[in-house]
Amino acid sequence: MTGRWTALVRGVQLYGVALLGLVGFVFTIASFIPGFGFGLVFSLPLPILASRRLARLARLLTHRWTGVAIGDPYLPEPPEPVRQPDGWYRHQRQLYRKPWMPRLMLRLEWVLGDNATWRDLGWMLLAPFTGGLIGLLPAFALVGGVSLPWWGPGGVPTWLLVALGLGAAGLGVAVAPWTLAACARFNRRMLGGALLRSDVDDPSERRHPIRAWFGRTLLPAFRLTLLFLTSMLAIPVFVVTILGLLGGFGLGIYFLVPAVLEDFRWLADMRRSMARWTGGRIASPYRILPPLQRRIDDGLYQVEGRLYESQRWAAFNQRSSWLLKDPATWREVLWRGVDPIVGGLIAFVPAAGIIYGIWGLALPRVTQTLFGVPEADWYGHVAGYAWPAIPAGLLLAVGTAKLAPPLLRLHGRWTRLLLGPTNEAALTQRVEQLTQTRAEASQAQASELRRIERDLHDGAQARLVAVGMSLATIEKLMETDPQAARELLARTRESAATALRELRELVRGIHPPVLAERGLGDAVRALALDSPLSVTVTVRLPQRLPEPIEAAAYFAVAEALGNAARHAEARTAAVVLAHEDDLLRITVRDDGRGGADPTRGSGLRGLARRLGIFDGTVDVASPPGGPTVLTMEIPCASSSPRTSSS
Amino acid sequence: MRVVLAEDLFLLREGLTQLLRAHGFEVVAAVESGPELAAALAEHRPDVAIVDVRLPPTFTDEGLRAALAARRAAPGLPVLVLSQHVEQLYARELLADGSGGVGYLLKDRVLNADQFLDAVHRVAAGGTAMDPDVIAKLLSTGPADGPVDQLTPREREVLGLMAEGRSNAAIAQRLFMSEGAVGKHTAGIFGKLGLAPSDDDNRRVLAVLAYLNTART
Repeated sequence: MTGRWTALVRGVQLYGVALLGLVGFVFTIASFIPGFGFGLVFSLPLPILASRRLARLARLLTHRWTGVAIGDPYLPEPPEPVRQPDGWYRHQRQLYRKPWMPRLMLRLEWVLGDNATWRDLGWMLLAPFTGGLIGLLPAFALVGGVSLPWWGPGGVPTWLLVALGLGAAGLGVAVAPWTLAACARFNRRMLGGALLRSDVDDPSERRHPIRAWFGRTLLPAFRLTLLFLTSMLAIPVFVVTILGLLGGFGLGIYFLVPAVLEDFRWLADMRRSMARWTGGRIASPYRILPPLQRRIDDGLYQVEGRLYESQRWAAFNQRSSWLLKDPATWREVLWRGVDPIVGGLIAFVPAAGIIYGIWGLALPRVTQTLFGVPEADWYGHVAGYAWPAIPAGLLLAVGTAKLAPPLLRLHGRWTRLLLGPTNEAALTQRVEQLTQTRAEASQAQASELRRIERDLHDGAQARLVAVGMSLATIEKLMETDPQAARELLARTRESAATALRELRELVRGIHPPVLAERGLGDAVRALALDSPLSVTVTVRLPQRLPEPIEAAAYFAVAEALGNAARHAEARTAAVVLAHEDDLLRITVRDDGRGGADPTRGSGLRGLARRLGIFDGTVDVASPPGGPTVLTMEIPCASSSPRTSSS
Repeated sequence: MRVVLAEDLFLLREGLTQLLRAHGFEVVAAVESGPELAAALAEHRPDVAIVDVRLPPTFTDEGLRAALAARRAAPGLPVLVLSQHVEQLYARELLADGSGGVGYLLKDRVLNADQFLDAVHRVAAGGTAMDPDVIAKLLSTGPADGPVDQLTPREREVLGLMAEGRSNAAIAQRLFMSEGAVGKHTAGIFGKLGLAPSDDDNRRVLAVLAYLNTART
């Protein structure tokens, strides 16, 4: 019995936390407005991090009181910005003198890019009205039941009121443990595991049907709504930009100009990062700020045709001309002005259709039918009748939801039009990138050759020399001491076998024979057999891939499985190899403890470098507590047909 | 005993031929490529085929595939595969049809002629000869807390030799114990792994491998 009472009290307390969450939600959303409006990027992470404390409290209490454990779902904190050899701090394609700005940007990306942030906010908004409310219901029933005889409606016999009240109160106390458990399950759903793992796209994993349905129908509309919000943000940004340009040029003071041009790039960057929803990535189109040139002989700084004595002025002028001469800057400014109309309209239609359909046409009819609220005459009627508004509203909502996916793609094309790099800019970037990867590749190759040479010299080569020497000794001993000769012969044979084994391992390290013989699929299967983990391998490769790519992919999988076994304490792993649209996609998922950090592990960095040679990318999703999902993509046009029959 | 030999390196082919002839084998054909091997196997129907994995013209796993194809055409044809490296994947493919008479050895093993010839005899007699390297890998990569872990060190040794394809008598000789003791150990292993005991050498290996296979997926 005491258990029921405690459950009742705890349900009320959990609801209190949920109510606090609602306050936090309002506060967070309110802080978004000045945060975006004035470009105060700094103010954004704070309320979100504060609300994480509340979410943590809810997790802790839920676990302590109900035993329902909820893992901490947040991504690990971003690393500190690293000072480059030339003294600058780099963030994406932007260089900074001091580390605080890149640190802020990293934190902002960390906080806003985490799925868990949005789940937290969702919980804060929903809990007081849905899942959290369940916990309050028993207390409500108890209080309501007890007060019913005093506050009940007149005209009803008192004995009936007392009976009803007692019944409600008793029911409330009786069901308290179950409602508390339901409340805990809601909290786990919202605050714990993945609700929408859009960042993990594993074709082998079957998705929950409800989640799949949600992803198919409502997610595009939801995303369009978010895109619409960014379009609306562009309005104040554009106004400030124009005022800054006018003020800057008009008065001949151009301090304002670089500020408004560069400091508002975050909006366009944000939109580019959202492009993965709308079909494809959009690369950043800006040129890189070149390092400041110093004239050796007289120590002056040169910026294009002019010389400056002070480094400050030179840097300032260089930055101004870099900004003003980059066509990407002006295309972006144009975007700031036009996007609220074009992008906003594209995004607005489905969201408005769904909202209006349900809230405007369907809901008023429903409430009217149920509660008899007086109808408004301007909406909710179809052809003069009230009731057809319900199907019409639902039809409108469903129809516009169907419209959302193509509109999402259209929106992506629109964003690319002004925010994507032009052909010229893309080529320039490509050349830059190729120069860098070429340097890395040749360096990696040189060090690999040195390693092989060293291994041969210290290992097999030395052993074969020893074998030769032993054979010479045996020749002598044969006549004088045949017994000793026989013993030495046995040792020599062993030595030759060891040399062979070392050579074999060396060859395996350079290019595994099974890879050469059977190709990537079977080579990864062989790798899975050798792994201490229980590994399942799914291969969807229609043909052999170019040899260098096969090798890079093979060693990448080997590294990933090795990491999972060594560091992650994993027991099982799943490898998926798929080749579609000239893109080799490798997913390695393990059930280890997660928390892999690409900025710390040299293995993951080396992996990225190895694949970078082929323009490949490595993506690590590894929340603490796991699972770790490593997604590697390598663009590759298919070449020779598959040779092996199996 | 009639042998067909397939090996593309001239020196090794001659060496193997001499070794086999010196020990009373009749080498009816010594070929150097996959298609020649297929033709020789069809023509001579040897008592045992000794095949290199990597053969011309593709220099991939031509030899292994020719051997597998020959075993499909003539079930039970004894095949001993030699390789520069051992690969579990290939070992499993060889064992897959379950009819015995297969072997898979590192080429180095010919350095120890007795061991090598013993393997040839065992394969020709319908048994199996798995390279100790393959067995070591199979045993070391089993599930971390599976039944293999419950075995005593001695039982693991016995299981390893058993998986290579050795009889109780051979195991007893190798481990310096009586045949009765080996029998007791094997019974213990079969009990712990939940396998029905059997006298057939070949069935024992297949059972061990089947156990290791199913436990890992």
